[in-house]
Amino acid sequence: MSSATVNGGEAATGTDIEAAAVQAPTPAATNTVPFAQKPNFKPLKAHEISDGQTQFRKVPVPPHRYTPLKKAWMEIYTPIYEHMKIDIRMNLKARRVELKTRKDTPDVSNLQKCADFVHAFMLGFDVIDAVALLRLDELYAESFEIKDVKTLRGEHLSRAIGRLSGKGGKTKFAIENATKTRIVIADTKIHILGSFSNIKVARDSLCSLILGSPAGKVYSKLRAVTARMAERF
Amino acid sequence: MASTDDGGGAKPVGFDSLRRLKSTEPPLFLSPSPDLSQAARLASQYLFSSLKPFAPKSPFSQLLTEGFDAEQIWQQIDLQSQPLLLSLRRHLRHFEKNPEDIQKQFDLDRDSDGLESESESFDEDEEDEVEEEEEEEEEEEEEDGPDDGEMEDEEKGNADGVEDKFLKIKELEEYLVDDEEKEYGLKKEKKKRKRGKITDKDEDEDEEGDEEDDEDDEEEDNELGLMGLDDDDEEEDGSKMGTARYEDFFGAKSTGQGQKSKLFGGSDDLDMDDGNNNQKKNTLSTHEKELEKLRSEIETMEKANLEPKTWRMQGEVTAAKRPKNSALEVDLDFEHNVRPAPVITEEVTASLEELIQKRILEGRFDDVQKPPTLPSRLPREKIELDENKSKKGLAALYEDEYVQKTGFVSTALSFSDEQKKEASMLFKKLCLKLDALSHFHFTPKPVIEDMSIQANVPALAMEEIAPLAVSDAAMLAPEELFVGKGDIKEETELTKAERKRRRANKKRKFKAEATKRTARKVQQNSVTNSAGAGGNDES
Repeated sequence: MSSATVNGGEAATGTDIEAAAVQAPTPAATNTVPFAQKPNFKPLKAHEISDGQTQFRKVPVPPHRYTPLKKAWMEIYTPIYEHMKIDIRMNLKARRVELKTRKDTPDVSNLQKCADFVHAFMLGFDVIDAVALLRLDELYAESFEIKDVKTLRGEHLSRAIGRLSGKGGKTKFAIENATKTRIVIADTKIHILGSFSNIKVARDSLCSLILGSPAGKVYSKLRAVTARMAERF
Repeated sequence: MASTDDGGGAKPVGFDSLRRLKSTEPPLFLSPSPDLSQAARLASQYLFSSLKPFAPKSPFSQLLTEGFDAEQIWQQIDLQSQPLLLSLRRHLRHFEKNPEDIQKQFDLDRDSDGLESESESFDEDEEDEVEEEEEEEEEEEEEDGPDDGEMEDEEKGNADGVEDKFLKIKELEEYLVDDEEKEYGLKKEKKKRKRGKITDKDEDEDEEGDEEDDEDDEEEDNELGLMGLDDDDEEEDGSKMGTARYEDFFGAKSTGQGQKSKLFGGSDDLDMDDGNNNQKKNTLSTHEKELEKLRSEIETMEKANLEPKTWRMQGEVTAAKRPKNSALEVDLDFEHNVRPAPVITEEVTASLEELIQKRILEGRFDDVQKPPTLPSRLPREKIELDENKSKKGLAALYEDEYVQKTGFVSTALSFSDEQKKEASMLFKKLCLKLDALSHFHFTPKPVIEDMSIQANVPALAMEEIAPLAVSDAAMLAPEELFVGKGDIKEETELTKAERKRRRANKKRKFKAEATKRTARKVQQNSVTNSAGAGGNDES
């Protein structure tokens, strides 16, 4: 219904234009076929792209992020609702965060960005870090498991996890600071948030740590890489 | 052999056989022939029987030769001859001591037939002696047979050779005399001198002379002292008897010529040319021998020069060029470029320990110091990895990065730079304070570009040269410290009029203030009143 009206409206406008266009050349040429002028459409609104239908995203909440979500809800809600213009709500029963486009959502990609943002938070990243996803286009979140790199069992696995984090997390922070990424080590899963090249560097360092190289070696490599990257600019 | 008893028949037979033996050539004696042996037996029998009357003690009446071998025959002869020899010697010694007895003997002989008998006996003695000699020779011949052919030869030869030698020696003497005559021109003197020389030479002769003398003695003994006893003969002949040598009798090596050369050698001190002239290979003079030696030496040396040198004389020799293990035998001398290892003794260790202790006490260690390496490039800014959680969020980080890239803002100071700045500031402050305290270097305060309100302080701060103990307050002059204006007088200094004037001023001020206060109060009251009234009105 609405679409029809819309079409109708459009048609009307189109016809108006056509009529106007027809009116102009008719007196000029009688025997040739009348060519229509190139139509000039106004850009579609985000709402209209999907044929006026709202779009949804549903992000499940893992139990361990439930309480942090509750604590950081306002920080999540504000940028999404205010800046991205996406409706957000928490489905308590289903333990999901649901996102929905509004009529005045400026960009189609906003919804996806918001979904990514919320998903990043669910992975374990801080809100401050996850917000970067909203602001920058080129940021990605990559996840992999320790077993993807090397099958470790029992003590070895625990030691590998320990090697990754370092004492008080210093190794992880060192990698984060050097590569401008954010790393979340959740048991055997590792998530990295950052730009593509930075993710690669961070991933390489983490993999070498998993495979057994000492932290000092990884540091030296990191220094070299970052120096090279800094030199470029 | 038939033994003949009759002496008359035997005598001529024996004599004939003797003569025959004498006439035979010496080489014939080498080969055994029955004829010769028969003749020898007969001769010995004859001799034995003829000698029998003079040897009373002999057990045999006649020599038994039938069926007896040479040894047995000789034994018989020896039995007879030994006592005979002794008696004869005794007689001879007697005659030697008492030569007048010989005359007596002769006289006696002349006087009577005994003389003849004496002479006969003498002759017989002589004959006997000769016969004895011959006997001995024959017996020796028979004994030895062909074995001692040489000896026989030598004996026979000697018997003949002696005489030859004598003759030759005589010739020698004549020649020598003539030669020396030529040189010196005096014959007699020469003779004597020569003799003297020869005798001297005899005395000088070393081994040869001794040997020969010894042999001479032996010969003398053997030959019943015939030769040696004749002292007169010896003196007359001189060289002949006294200098009779081995060669004369056995004729082994030398001929007269050799002797001549030897004689020449004896007189070589004066006659070198004669020695040189003589160039015979058989016997050489000492000078010639030396020359020969020299020549041979020269030859060997020349030979050695022609041949390739030994490995020792060659320059660089590898192991392949020299025989195996030859370097071990040679005393090699080469430079040792390596210092020999020090021998560690107790003293050495004690000295080392002493040195170590001293150094430790001093604290002076010879540590190796790295030479300062020149920096080839600018040292890169070392990126310090911050191991703390970053305070900025990820978004802020990327924002900064973006901003830096685009260049809107100047490059943000890195973490290390900020710290450096802070540190330098602190240090400057500290330095200023320290300098002020020490008065060594006056440095003005550092200019800190700050927007801050400053007190009205003079721009320049000059250094006040005052001792440390003086504080700033004391440094100020009284005028600077003075707050006030005009001529200040103390209360005690004031006159009555001035005192009064002050009081009047004070009063006036107080009054003015009080009026002001009241006026303000009135104003406030009026305002509140009006407000209050207004408020009242409204409600």
